[in-house]
Amino acid sequence: MTPSNIACCTTVDLSDADVIAAMKEMEGYIDITPGDFKEVFRIAYIHALRRIMEARTAQDIMTKTVHCLRSDMDLVQAAKFLAEKCFTGAPVINEQGVVVGVLSEKDFLTRMGVDKPTNFMHIVAHCLMNRGCMAMTLKNHVVAEIMSAPPITATPHITVNAISALFVEKEINRLPIVDTDGRPIGFVTRTDLVQSYCTPFGGLT
Amino acid sequence: MTFWQKMKGRTQSPPMVSFAEMGWSWLGSFFGMAAIAFLHYRFIDQHSLTLLIGSFGASAVLVYGAVRSPLAQPRNLVGGHILSAFVGVAACQWFGSSLWLAAAIAVSTSIALMHLTKTLHPPGGATALIAVIGGDSIHRLGYFYVLMPTALGAGIILVTALIFNNMIKSRRYPEFWV
Repeated sequence: MTPSNIACCTTVDLSDADVIAAMKEMEGYIDITPGDFKEVFRIAYIHALRRIMEARTAQDIMTKTVHCLRSDMDLVQAAKFLAEKCFTGAPVINEQGVVVGVLSEKDFLTRMGVDKPTNFMHIVAHCLMNRGCMAMTLKNHVVAEIMSAPPITATPHITVNAISALFVEKEINRLPIVDTDGRPIGFVTRTDLVQSYCTPFGGLT
Repeated sequence: MTFWQKMKGRTQSPPMVSFAEMGWSWLGSFFGMAAIAFLHYRFIDQHSLTLLIGSFGASAVLVYGAVRSPLAQPRNLVGGHILSAFVGVAACQWFGSSLWLAAAIAVSTSIALMHLTKTLHPPGGATALIAVIGGDSIHRLGYFYVLMPTALGAGIILVTALIFNNMIKSRRYPEFWV
């Protein structure tokens, strides 16, 4: 992520009047123009943000209770599970408990949309035109068949910046955090990430 | 905070400028001072007048070495020199019987007045001081010292700084005029 990308998440726009008011309060001659001070502040702020974000890792922002799906689970069960938990996706593990994929709404939609990239509105339109329930195609299949695999995972030490970059680069919305054996120990979603940006100065080590 | 604690300082020196910046500062001040010294020795000196006073060397530090500083801006450069020259001559004429007093009054009063007029320019202190300690040749100029060498010299520095600093991609001058 470039510095300017970070900056647009949280920026404080100082006006010349703010700077002049501060200079008056400080007393004594300060050898910098308000314009240059604003420039110094703007760039320093980006550096500070980057420093803070680089110090913060997945460990600090991840959801620590991971609800996983089994790869041999029936899709109907998997859908029920996600619906009950109000999840839009979850990591998939095999018999050994190792993360082997990620199953999300997108995978269901892709499977239902037969030939083209499908979104939710496509499904709605299809149903309204009385063409039957597209979800029927999901029957008698298991999670392993439609999940996204191999999974994109990361260790707890990945920085928040790196997670952001990964989300953008790989076009994903959730990232299973795994230990050295590939077992899930946490889960970072876009929501977790956004929250970490909204509280850049709180709860840091 | 105690008196002694204050003396420890509290922060660090700002970073060094780039080598390119050093090069431009050297080149700019070279041409700026060359212009003013050439005029002095070629034309002014022949009439037993002076255009070169030490404080212009100090002004060159600011307008070529610290271009963005408020202290280096035209208002400060020209205003600071003229005001200080005036104060220096006045101090010399009123308190000339004891030059140490005149020197102190010249510098301190010019600093206060530069603050009051928002024209603080450190070399102005030198301009005021030179009006007192510059010897007979300066004393004979009287208030003409304000116009020449002071105003003329400051004007030459301003013009050369405007031309040179704006020719360089990484620089601009001034930050503000008045």
